Amino acid sequence: MKKMFPAEELARDSRFVRNKIEDQVFDPRNQALSQRDMGSAKLDPNRPAAAERARALMHGIFTGEIQALEGAGRTTFDFDETEVPLKLKLDMARQCWDESRHCEISVKLGDWMGSEIGEFAEQTFLYQAACADDPVLRLTGVNRALEGLAIDVFNTMKEFGELSGDPVLAFCEDWMLADEVTHVKMGSDWLRRLTENDPERRERALEFQRTVDKLFSLGGFRGENEDNPIHLARRFRELAGFSDDELEELVKVSEESKAEAEAMSAAVQQGA
Amino acid sequence: MPEPSKPRPAFAPWDRRELPGIFGVEESAKRVGHYKWIEIKLFEALGGWVATVPELDVKLVLGRHCYHHAWHADLWDQRLPELREMNPDRLNVPPNEELVAFVDAMREPDGPDLTIEKLVGVYRVLIPRKIAAYTYHLNGTSTITDSPTIRSLNFVLQDEFQDWREGEMLIQSLIETPEDAERAARRAAELEALMLRAGGITGPGTLGEVTEGHNAPVGGVVA
Repeated sequence: MKKMFPAEELARDSRFVRNKIEDQVFDPRNQALSQRDMGSAKLDPNRPAAAERARALMHGIFTGEIQALEGAGRTTFDFDETEVPLKLKLDMARQCWDESRHCEISVKLGDWMGSEIGEFAEQTFLYQAACADDPVLRLTGVNRALEGLAIDVFNTMKEFGELSGDPVLAFCEDWMLADEVTHVKMGSDWLRRLTENDPERRERALEFQRTVDKLFSLGGFRGENEDNPIHLARRFRELAGFSDDELEELVKVSEESKAEAEAMSAAVQQGA
Repeated sequence: MPEPSKPRPAFAPWDRRELPGIFGVEESAKRVGHYKWIEIKLFEALGGWVATVPELDVKLVLGRHCYHHAWHADLWDQRLPELREMNPDRLNVPPNEELVAFVDAMREPDGPDLTIEKLVGVYRVLIPRKIAAYTYHLNGTSTITDSPTIRSLNFVLQDEFQDWREGEMLIQSLIETPEDAERAARRAAELEALMLRAGGITGPGTLGEVTEGHNAPVGGVVA
């Protein structure tokens, strides 16, 4: 088996449909849709499209969990004990089990919410963040940035379950949220340990985390405003080792990302 | 009411544990080092394969089993210093080059169409060999002096049996034609030949030394 498995080769059965994020962003239909004033993007059970949006988000969580499983699995294989401590590999194996369980939960929840595997397209950018050559970058890109986003997403979905009177959804999201806090804490702890005497490597890793955080802010997808579909879960992120400064930076990154997306959209409109 | 000061034996009548065992401290540590090595190689392979198998159920089972074997490696890693091996890496070695060749061959399949080959190597060849070696250790070691190893062996064997059963069921569900059955049998035979050359997961003597037609214990015998 080769080391460093590329995202294009991730194995899926025939139900799955894959597309690229750029195809979605530059699809003129999506650009036209984004111009409509639909009010707050918050996942609100009172809005007619809430159920459909929740199903789409749930499917996104499912494919994200598959890729998180694959990414953690590759980290157990891609690096030997001369490159990373055995204990880190053991933590990644533990994460494999957790992500595998999350996939199982997500499949059951998808059924519960009325969607099917493959109903929505999959993008592989989560796994791509798990392909870095430096294992420390995988820890910041995946465990701190993406698993951190998962904390925000699961907390939002849990609240949505509570607001919409769906105890099954709220129950499952709360369990997955507990695991994600563990994964982010793993990332925070290993980052500190592995870069204790290498501030340059730590800075490179944190810069990669900022890049991934910005990418996944998706034009204001995650933030602290009422408009943001996904809210920053401060309390759980603190439990996972995020400092106040890091939380403030995340809010800033999200605002920047939103401003950039609006500018890009305006430019496309002018050019049209 | 029983008299609290009445002398009682240290071993209750139903506690039949005995001192004799076929492994001394050094032999036990050597075996535990080999166990750690093979568990690491196995959990790495299972983790690496997750991305390469298209079958969703197989993918999720591999993710779960990856952790089981990582946990076993951790148990053996923790046991080594208790067996006077203060450098946990020194004994984290294969017993011989032949077992390395087996592991390389077992981990070699990469393509999405090779799930049968991947699973057969693990669940029809390696795990049965692990169950045999662990059971030999469990049955042969001193039930009093080596009881920490026995406790770990019992936990590990429970996982091994369950994982073997689950893996075997996956293989059976993937074999749909006589050609698939032939593929699985061929793969098992190829790997079994390599394992035979290695002599088992701890090398020759994994299940005792073969002498004049019967197996005899290996290691510091305490009778």
